[in-house]
Amino acid sequence: MASNQSDLKKSIMDTKTLPTLPNVIHKLNSLSDSDSSSVQEMAKIVSSDQVLSARILRLANSPSYGFHRVSTISNAMILLGVNVVKSLALSSSIIAMMEHDSIGLWEHSLGVGSAANLIAHRLKLPECEEIATAGLLHDIGKVIIKLKCSDVDKEIQLRVTTRQIYSLEAEREVLDTDHAEIGGWLAKSWFLPDKLSEPISFHHDVEKSCNNRVKTAVIHLADVLIKSSGFGDSGDDFVPSLQNIAWDILKLDKQLLDELVYELEDKLIEVKNFSFEMLSN
Amino acid sequence: MQKIPLSFAKSGMILARDVFRGDTPVGMPVCGKGSELTNALITRFEQMDVKSITVEGHPVWEEGDRSLNDYLRELDNRFAKTIQEPHNAVLHCVYKEYLIKAMEGYSGQQPE
Repeated sequence: MASNQSDLKKSIMDTKTLPTLPNVIHKLNSLSDSDSSSVQEMAKIVSSDQVLSARILRLANSPSYGFHRVSTISNAMILLGVNVVKSLALSSSIIAMMEHDSIGLWEHSLGVGSAANLIAHRLKLPECEEIATAGLLHDIGKVIIKLKCSDVDKEIQLRVTTRQIYSLEAEREVLDTDHAEIGGWLAKSWFLPDKLSEPISFHHDVEKSCNNRVKTAVIHLADVLIKSSGFGDSGDDFVPSLQNIAWDILKLDKQLLDELVYELEDKLIEVKNFSFEMLSN
Repeated sequence: MQKIPLSFAKSGMILARDVFRGDTPVGMPVCGKGSELTNALITRFEQMDVKSITVEGHPVWEEGDRSLNDYLRELDNRFAKTIQEPHNAVLHCVYKEYLIKAMEGYSGQQPE
């Protein structure tokens, strides 16, 4: 079994068969790193990919980000800033991978993105859009498992249903790793910044995050809230432990949770409508 | 709160969300949450192409709708593994109170 586990792990983490990001994102990254490039230049690069542009605008207007009046890419660049558009380009490309095959996971991710954005705003944290992006992408490891080894994914699902265990436990039994480690590894191989890769890697173990512990704690809480709410389907039906460290870092108490849950449930109606409209298009 | 088609709206219901012209948040806001519906207001919404509204409580029951007890049972099932942990116990309590409040006034009602 041990060698089988490591073979599976190797095949999942084989870089040759990993999904790639659209070229536009790499171009956008290099342009935004250079001081001499203009916003118009960057807008032109993104607009050259019509499918990506449409996805970006749709996502910008989704409840996870909630910008309601963004109608063109150059408009988005000026109103929201280059970094936000980069986040949008990245999340819309990755979400495209789960949109049709894993509707439950897509709804769970949209929900966690919205919850993370809401928590970040409520706690007045900087870089709320980055946090929303980390929320949207936190379970990307699950997409990779499904994409690369659908048989393994079925085996994990079977263990979850028959033994009523967390999908994280089933993944560790079958693969000797889990979706958080796979997601973090993927984020690194795509050269995503720490502020995205750490919440992805450590949303089940906040203590391990060194440089972005607050962001990681927000994603952990957002995940726990969405699981508590029963919104979407992340692989199992059980609410994970709300970790002490996240409780302390975010200075949680019952009153704050009351307010967050009330606002979140209101927002989840929008998320459900958004997901329904997107899938019916 | 419950989202209902405008045709199910009745005077006396309380709006739980703002209403926008043409059902889109980009449209002009026409009525704020917390307002009590009247027949005149419902007619005005119809003229403004509003198709659905979200109201407080759970005034409209359809076959297949879950009752408060169903929601609470599902909540307990989701928390089955972690209810003993202090932070999760607080969160369970927060959601339980939320559900009771969201269905307030209609908890005893069952689908017809």
